[in-house]
Amino acid sequence: MQDIKTYLSPRGIDEAVRAMAAGDVTVFCGGTDLSPQVESGARQYTATLMNIRRVEGMSGIAEAGNLVRIGALTTVTEIRRDPLVARVASILAEAAEHFASDQIRNAASLGGNICNASPAGDMINPLLVLDAEVELARWQDGAVATRRVAMADFFLAPRQTAKRDGELLTAVFFARPATNFVACFRKSGPRPALEISTVSVGIGGRLDNGVFRDVRVAMGSVAPTPLRARHVEAALEGKRLDADGILAAVAAAKTDAKPIDDVRASAWYREHLVQVFTEEVLNHVLGN
Amino acid sequence: MEQKVATPIEKKTLIGSRVKKPDAADKATGKTRYINDMVLPQMLIGKVLFAGRPHAKIVSIDVSAAERLPGVHAVLTGKDAAGLKFGFVRDNVPLKEKVLCEHDEIAAVAADTEEIALKALELIKVEYEDLPAVFSPEAGREASAPQLRENFPDNKSLRFEFKHGDLATAEAASDFIADNIFRPHHVTHCCMGTSCAIADFDNNGKLTIWTQTQYPYNYKMDLAPALGIAPGDIRVIQPPVGGAFGSKLDVYPYEPIAALLARKTGRPVKVIYSREEEFKASPTRQAAIIHMRTGCTRDGTLTFRSADVLLDNGAYTSWGPTIPVIMMRTTSGHYRVPVVDFQAQAIYTNNPYAGSFRGYGNVQTTFATAQQMDILADQVDIDPLAFHLKNAQKSGEVTPQKSFLRECVLAECLETAARASDYSRKRAAYAAERGKPGRYKKGIGLASSIHNAGGAKIHKSDGIGTILKVDDYARVTVITGASEIGQGIDAVINLIVAEELGVPLEHITIINNDSDIAPWDVGVHASRTTFIAGNGTRRAARKAKAQILKAAEKMLGEPAAALELRGGSVVRDQCGTPLIKLDRLLRQMHFQAEPELVMVTDYYEPNSQPEGADHVSDHSAAYSHAVHIAEITVDTLTGEIKVDKITSAQDVGRVINRMGLEAQTEGGIAIGLGYALSENMQLEGGMLKNPCFRDYKLITAPEMPELEMHFIESHCAEGPYGAKGVSELPTIVIAPAIANALFNATGVRIFNPPLSPEKVARAIHETRQGGN
Ligand SMILES: Cc1cc2nc3c(=O)[nH]c(=O)nc-3n(C[C@H](O)[C@H](O)[C@H](O)COP(=O)(O)OP(=O)(O)OC[C@H]3O[C@@H](n4cnc5c(N)ncnc54)[C@H](O)[C@@H]3O)c2cc1C
Repeated sequence: MQDIKTYLSPRGIDEAVRAMAAGDVTVFCGGTDLSPQVESGARQYTATLMNIRRVEGMSGIAEAGNLVRIGALTTVTEIRRDPLVARVASILAEAAEHFASDQIRNAASLGGNICNASPAGDMINPLLVLDAEVELARWQDGAVATRRVAMADFFLAPRQTAKRDGELLTAVFFARPATNFVACFRKSGPRPALEISTVSVGIGGRLDNGVFRDVRVAMGSVAPTPLRARHVEAALEGKRLDADGILAAVAAAKTDAKPIDDVRASAWYREHLVQVFTEEVLNHVLGN
Repeated sequence: MEQKVATPIEKKTLIGSRVKKPDAADKATGKTRYINDMVLPQMLIGKVLFAGRPHAKIVSIDVSAAERLPGVHAVLTGKDAAGLKFGFVRDNVPLKEKVLCEHDEIAAVAADTEEIALKALELIKVEYEDLPAVFSPEAGREASAPQLRENFPDNKSLRFEFKHGDLATAEAASDFIADNIFRPHHVTHCCMGTSCAIADFDNNGKLTIWTQTQYPYNYKMDLAPALGIAPGDIRVIQPPVGGAFGSKLDVYPYEPIAALLARKTGRPVKVIYSREEEFKASPTRQAAIIHMRTGCTRDGTLTFRSADVLLDNGAYTSWGPTIPVIMMRTTSGHYRVPVVDFQAQAIYTNNPYAGSFRGYGNVQTTFATAQQMDILADQVDIDPLAFHLKNAQKSGEVTPQKSFLRECVLAECLETAARASDYSRKRAAYAAERGKPGRYKKGIGLASSIHNAGGAKIHKSDGIGTILKVDDYARVTVITGASEIGQGIDAVINLIVAEELGVPLEHITIINNDSDIAPWDVGVHASRTTFIAGNGTRRAARKAKAQILKAAEKMLGEPAAALELRGGSVVRDQCGTPLIKLDRLLRQMHFQAEPELVMVTDYYEPNSQPEGADHVSDHSAAYSHAVHIAEITVDTLTGEIKVDKITSAQDVGRVINRMGLEAQTEGGIAIGLGYALSENMQLEGGMLKNPCFRDYKLITAPEMPELEMHFIESHCAEGPYGAKGVSELPTIVIAPAIANALFNATGVRIFNPPLSPEKVARAIHETRQGGN
């Protein structure tokens, strides 16, 4: 067991990333992933524990021009209740609705969900559908420097992301979806409450006179990382969303999903569910 | 004795009213100090090193580094516990010299803090040599299987048999036979408070152990050999516990380990499990393979039932492999079965081992019997309700094992639940929808069972001692053997004392947590406490009342028979006119020339017969039935079962505390639903893969369905005020009700619970592929 030597609770992004540049910092936000991981021995705290909940400029949901910005500290509860999210990106609210329990939602942050990089991360799926980007901040040449990475390029391997050592995820951005954009999310586990996804599917796109365009499809828990389902997207892009189109997408879902057997479900069941959900979500999209 | 003319005090009964648990406010506000919260001066923390492998020889063990760690006071290993055999067949020791299951206790440490104790565990070096292992009872029976225990050839542990009538003739006379293999699985109790014991020896060698046990008196007998001391040298104190449900009905190794560490260090030692340890190291519900056959004639009359049961004994023998005692009562007593053939064999394996768990064997058997009733009804092609009614016993009948069903209202339970849920019409309608297209299908399923409801005389005594005193202020203290483990006996005792002695509920104190003070009781099990302790309390209270009224007769000059205790006073029974305040009377009794105090004792032994080796005896003072009807919606694609409503009808004898009864029913159903739908210990090679609540799925609040409870009052002659025991039946009946509903909805039957979404989806998928 590594002893924590220093506890930091910075107020500014600059202060936070400067500390991170010095190395050996464990970033702690809601702690709903981190604490159980440390408790089970899967992970250890480093010498410095940094609580980022009080950092200013990293919370809240706001429009900036054509973009929607959600601060990394924003909790799942806040996302679930936010009127702007409900209006322009209801798929995110939908995913928040099916996330854990009130106690966890009140503590769990958006940034934590993304950085934890679990294939079952429920905020990740809708953000992939919204084609979001993450903003990463670091301390460089005596100042805060930032860069943006598309969510679709962020998840590299199991629990491994494009975020480098010393980088703090400060916010998520996505373009305000067009008015004819529709999207739906579906997740499942053996019980309706407090459940880690067995499989999740999110699909969104513009419905242009019955033709589906700019289609983005995300899948959770069917591969080592959260996934953009490119075959399903190709099967749908520019096509009419009708019974045949849905059938083709369901067939393609099987190609995209690469599930494994684990303690929560068998590969067979995951592959089965991915198809069921793809069909279900597309029917919902059609219904909307 | 001049009294002002006072307003009469009306006679009103508390029986059937809603009485709060006296500890409810303390528990809700966090004031209750559970054993898990307890800290004693000088107390050390004990931690256990588990093997973490299913079967192995211990080649070497080196504890020197652990012993040297500052803050460590003792390190014990198997050789410190050699010969300290305990358990049902004396096949367990507190610390092991060879490994027989994943959670075998290899070493134990007592240290100043938990951190130091954990650090010390890391410093213990053990070299193992893994051995070929046995992970199922079928495998354990094979000739090629390694023999796990010296004295148990072919890995055979306990065996049970009961036969009645001629099976071959009955089979030949049967027009239909249901023949299935059921595989009830491993689940565990999931008590909110994890296992915990604190042990302390005094300098005379007397042990005080604070523990969660639910059977304090026999517990002394069972713990003593694990320590090599006399049972009389053990004092058991039971602080408030966070649940037990049968998991604390035996001695488990952490308890003698705490005591051995305490003896070694001369200081109090507390052993408390983390949640992961709790999952791995506490007992399970007994897993089984039940090959059941039930026959009937064309007109729907049952002809026989046979059960060939194979039990996964696990590595050691606790109460789990003894469940055939109850399994055979259900096999022989669930409906009128003229011919019975039951046999059960437990086989040692390297899996975790089972203890007792609410429903004790009957959960497993009823999963089989109640589904076969449904299967047979379809074969005969009659409404299951009619089939059940045709074979339902009536009052006065005796089962092949001689269970005497003195008051039997099974038919009324069936009719009440069926009527309330519109069962027959819905079942036919849903069956007609079965083959048709549509993703969501509705189903309705009926199941019932029989259970002992007046204790179960599996020991020489099923009785209880009660001491009751009424002090000079008319405050009543009840000193009783009946343990409170959350089931609500305190509220029942309060209610009964208030009913008999006419004192307010708040004026009653119960002492039931110290074996040096309270008298004998068998323990909280077999749905017995309200029945047994209720009778004991009532008898003691009536003795006190007789003494008080006799004194009143002397002082007031009115015949005792015409007096009553009501509203804190002695009143005229007829008109309710108060004659003297009770506390005043008690002081007068005390301070008179021939002083007397009100302190009475009672020993109540129920009118039942010991179980006996042939299993033919009326082993409970009462039996009871429950019927559950489950209404569900199945998502045929994801396999998810949503339980929409449960209608229950249960013979409760008589409602005593309605609030407690409702809570026991709801809680029982919640446990049963988890068993049916989601709970599952995932064992792979004897190792538990899901030792956490994330992956071990309990039922949560949103999944609790609407419940409609009907309590049928059969007025049991032997029960207190007519009551019967109630607590296990709700857990027992629910799973087959859901399984029958699943069949009604989809035509699919699953014989190995839980009925998880994946299993249901796969079964439906396969049926569809098969072109059905
Ligand atoms: C009972 C329970 C139920 C759950 N149910 C769900 C569920 O339904 N769906 C779901 O998706 N998840 C679920 N989770 C997982 C968890 O709640 C979420 O992933 C949550 O969003 C994590 O956020 P956090 O703020 O608690 O992260 P933390 O635990 O604080 O951090 C997680 C990781 O991200 C890093 N980190 C956090 N913030 C930043 C940042 N801004 N920049 C850089 N690194 C950062 C941390 O160092 C850590 O490695 C559940 C967890 C529990 C305990």
